[in-house]
Amino acid sequence: MLKQFNIWYVLSLLISIIVIIPILTVFSSFFENTSNYFDVLKNTFLFEYTLNSFILLTSVLTLTFIIGTGTAYLVSFYEFPYSNFFKWGLILSFAVPPYIYAYSLTAFFENYGTAFTILKNLFGEANYNKHIPKFDGMFGSILSISFSLFGYVYILARASFLYQSQNLIDLGKNLGFSNFRCFYSIILPAARPAIVAGLSLVAMETLAEFGAVDFFSINTLTTGIYNSWIAFDDLAFANQLSFFLLMFIFALFILENLSRKRAKYHFNSRGGFKQKKKLKLTKSKALLAFMFCFFIFFVSFLFPLIQMLYWTLKFPENLFDLNILDLSLNTLYLVVLSSLVLIIFSLVSNYGNRVSKNKLLNLMSTLSISGYAIPGVILAIAFITFIAWIDDSMIKNLGFLSIKKMFIGSIFGLVIVYFVRFYSIAFNGIKSGYEKINIHVDESAYLLGYSKRKTFVNIHVPFLRNSLLFVGILISLEIIRELPITLILRPFNFETFATTAYISASEDLLEAAAVPSLFLILIASLFIIVSSKYILRENNG
Amino acid sequence: MGNNFFEVKNVDFKVGGITKVANVSFAIEKEGDIICLLGPSGIGKTTILRTIAGLEKIKRGSIELKGNVLSSEKKNLEPEERNISLAFQENSLFPHYTVEKNILLGAERNKGKKDHQVSLQEIIELLDISLTLNKYPHEISAGEAQRASLARSLVTQPDLLLLDEPLSNVDQSFKEEIQEKLKKILKASKITTIIVTHDSYEAFYLGSKCGIILNQELKQFDDPYNVYHLPNSVEVVNFLNRGTLIPAEVTSPKSLENKDLGTITGNFIRPFPIGSKVKLLVQPEDLHHDDKSNLKFEVVDRKFRGTNFIYTLKTPSNALLPVFVHSHHIHQHEVDEKFGIKRPIHIDHIVCF
Repeated sequence: MLKQFNIWYVLSLLISIIVIIPILTVFSSFFENTSNYFDVLKNTFLFEYTLNSFILLTSVLTLTFIIGTGTAYLVSFYEFPYSNFFKWGLILSFAVPPYIYAYSLTAFFENYGTAFTILKNLFGEANYNKHIPKFDGMFGSILSISFSLFGYVYILARASFLYQSQNLIDLGKNLGFSNFRCFYSIILPAARPAIVAGLSLVAMETLAEFGAVDFFSINTLTTGIYNSWIAFDDLAFANQLSFFLLMFIFALFILENLSRKRAKYHFNSRGGFKQKKKLKLTKSKALLAFMFCFFIFFVSFLFPLIQMLYWTLKFPENLFDLNILDLSLNTLYLVVLSSLVLIIFSLVSNYGNRVSKNKLLNLMSTLSISGYAIPGVILAIAFITFIAWIDDSMIKNLGFLSIKKMFIGSIFGLVIVYFVRFYSIAFNGIKSGYEKINIHVDESAYLLGYSKRKTFVNIHVPFLRNSLLFVGILISLEIIRELPITLILRPFNFETFATTAYISASEDLLEAAAVPSLFLILIASLFIIVSSKYILRENNG
Repeated sequence: MGNNFFEVKNVDFKVGGITKVANVSFAIEKEGDIICLLGPSGIGKTTILRTIAGLEKIKRGSIELKGNVLSSEKKNLEPEERNISLAFQENSLFPHYTVEKNILLGAERNKGKKDHQVSLQEIIELLDISLTLNKYPHEISAGEAQRASLARSLVTQPDLLLLDEPLSNVDQSFKEEIQEKLKKILKASKITTIIVTHDSYEAFYLGSKCGIILNQELKQFDDPYNVYHLPNSVEVVNFLNRGTLIPAEVTSPKSLENKDLGTITGNFIRPFPIGSKVKLLVQPEDLHHDDKSNLKFEVVDRKFRGTNFIYTLKTPSNALLPVFVHSHHIHQHEVDEKFGIKRPIHIDHIVCF
């Protein structure tokens, strides 16, 4: 039972090693030689890449902080018209990936775009183009990414606000604080870890963002990595840039951690917790709160949805040109396969960690979940690097046939890289479910004569079924939206809604990108609606 | 100790490499006996139970049940292979099953092993959990969860039942009733039981033997009467909060002398040479109140305990003596008043260190 080296331990260790390999590849290539591209880039665009990444990051963080925290505060503390709807309606923004948002933004504001058509229909023929603002380039990228990702901050801030005790707020009132002072002196600092966690996710996604910045031709470190691989075939340098990018992300974490010092932010939920009462807003305040939430909901979800729907209806031939059934099946195939693999392996790994209580395994698991911090582009390239290295240095020398085809441009390879990229979501999601199972429950099972396998199958799995469903939906959502990994590693002629939309958009056929984009938004929305009660965690906190 | 039903021999109980209780030996002679382990919180009582259950390993000594070694330096039988049940102090019910299903899972373990001496229904009724059967663990109170967990352990009909603070979450008003019922079930089922508690009265009531664990040692393992009246060390006296130790000199095989109380007669539980300087344990019931006595001390405190008062008297040597007085005593004494002690002073069991 308590022997550390059991089958669960071995399986968990193996899973962690598989996930760590591509991550280590990124780090190890830092010491490899690179081509001349490094010198060329160093003297030309490296500064621009870094500066663009920095501007993008800081702007997106600021905007998502304001939108995410502001909306979360309103729906958590106040009652106003449709506040219950906005509570979950705001997370629908997740259904729109940044690149699809970018297409919508361009489609609406471009010369002779949707905005132009609306004005023409309303006010007649005129040259409206010069009056219509252009949301492209860096500004367009910032808006696309922010409205697509603010949900991370919103969900985590709201969860934190939800579990803040009324006592804390009463205390502020007792000290004579105004509502606003209560917010920035008590509520906001108390929710800081949650908000920072949300912003960290936004930071990682922003730095990893490929589709939207590529569409707006903004050169960032991520597009630099892609270019160094595509244009110069310099994997080592692509990985070195990736390493640089990772350091950037880790520096952010460390900075935040240091700034916290020894402050504690969590509350003892046993005793002293008093359920919050929502304040009912009236008249102008209620209207303002409604307007703010509706604006965000409209801009982040309805606007891209309507734009894509409009184009689909306006150019129906695109709907018939696409084989929707094939695209749906391909997307569904990837979603089901990857979710199953991720859930099964993460479940086994979590259980292995739980029963083994081994420091090495714990360290390996912690390292393995850092895959999410690595942009999809980098992971895909690192995976190709690793397979190429194995193939060249081992397989061929041993006289076997090349294994490249098995891993690169195959569903198998695609699922492996998804696995590495999204392992942290699955692992952490299941881990948080496991944290709710007291260790005495396991011990009671053993004392009732249950073996480890029986405890796992009969006690843990049934208890975790909600967590597993939630994790499955989160992974599915990520895979439906995922672009760079699918783009780089998909088999020949194997398209998903995401890749079809990207390819059409990159060929300047935005109208054609509308149909797959619309389907992608609808399917993702469906997943979000189904899982909203888990995402919002009203009942299982 | 060769034919004991259960035996712990020279075991160091450790958790995470840290020794909690060292070199422990005790035995349960007959099947169906109940023993209690008593000690302050955090002393290692739970570690002892977890180790006996097989959830922690030992590196020294041995643990034997019915003559079979369960744990030793070389052998460690897995928890699922020992027919030992442990009811945890915290809620350990399976959260996704109803209380009834939880209890039935316990009953499943017993299938084909032993006849139920006490039926499942009786256990449910005695523990007063019939109204919670269809509820889930998160829907019931901590006390109900603890009783449900107890029921699950009882229905497994284990060879050895381990109860970790089984009534710690039960309301005080309900506690005595549950204690009585629990004892009744355990006796009727003939389940050998080790109960861990920090409540001495619970231990004295439930256990036929009590072990006192203090300062990483099993200080005393004896029947409740002896533990209470004849504590074997100053630590046990202090832990049970039994009285005050005052200096005295042994003057004969049946008497000693104290500066404030004068001559005290009685039977020494351990012999001391005449002329020995000792510390005499004065327990609340050792001294008797007498208003007419000329041996008077000042009252510095008075504790009302329902059926009695415990007066604390200050002697000229600044010793603080506890004295038990029935609360229906004809009159009460206030703080700072003088309080008479009956002479001659006779203590049945003289406890000295």
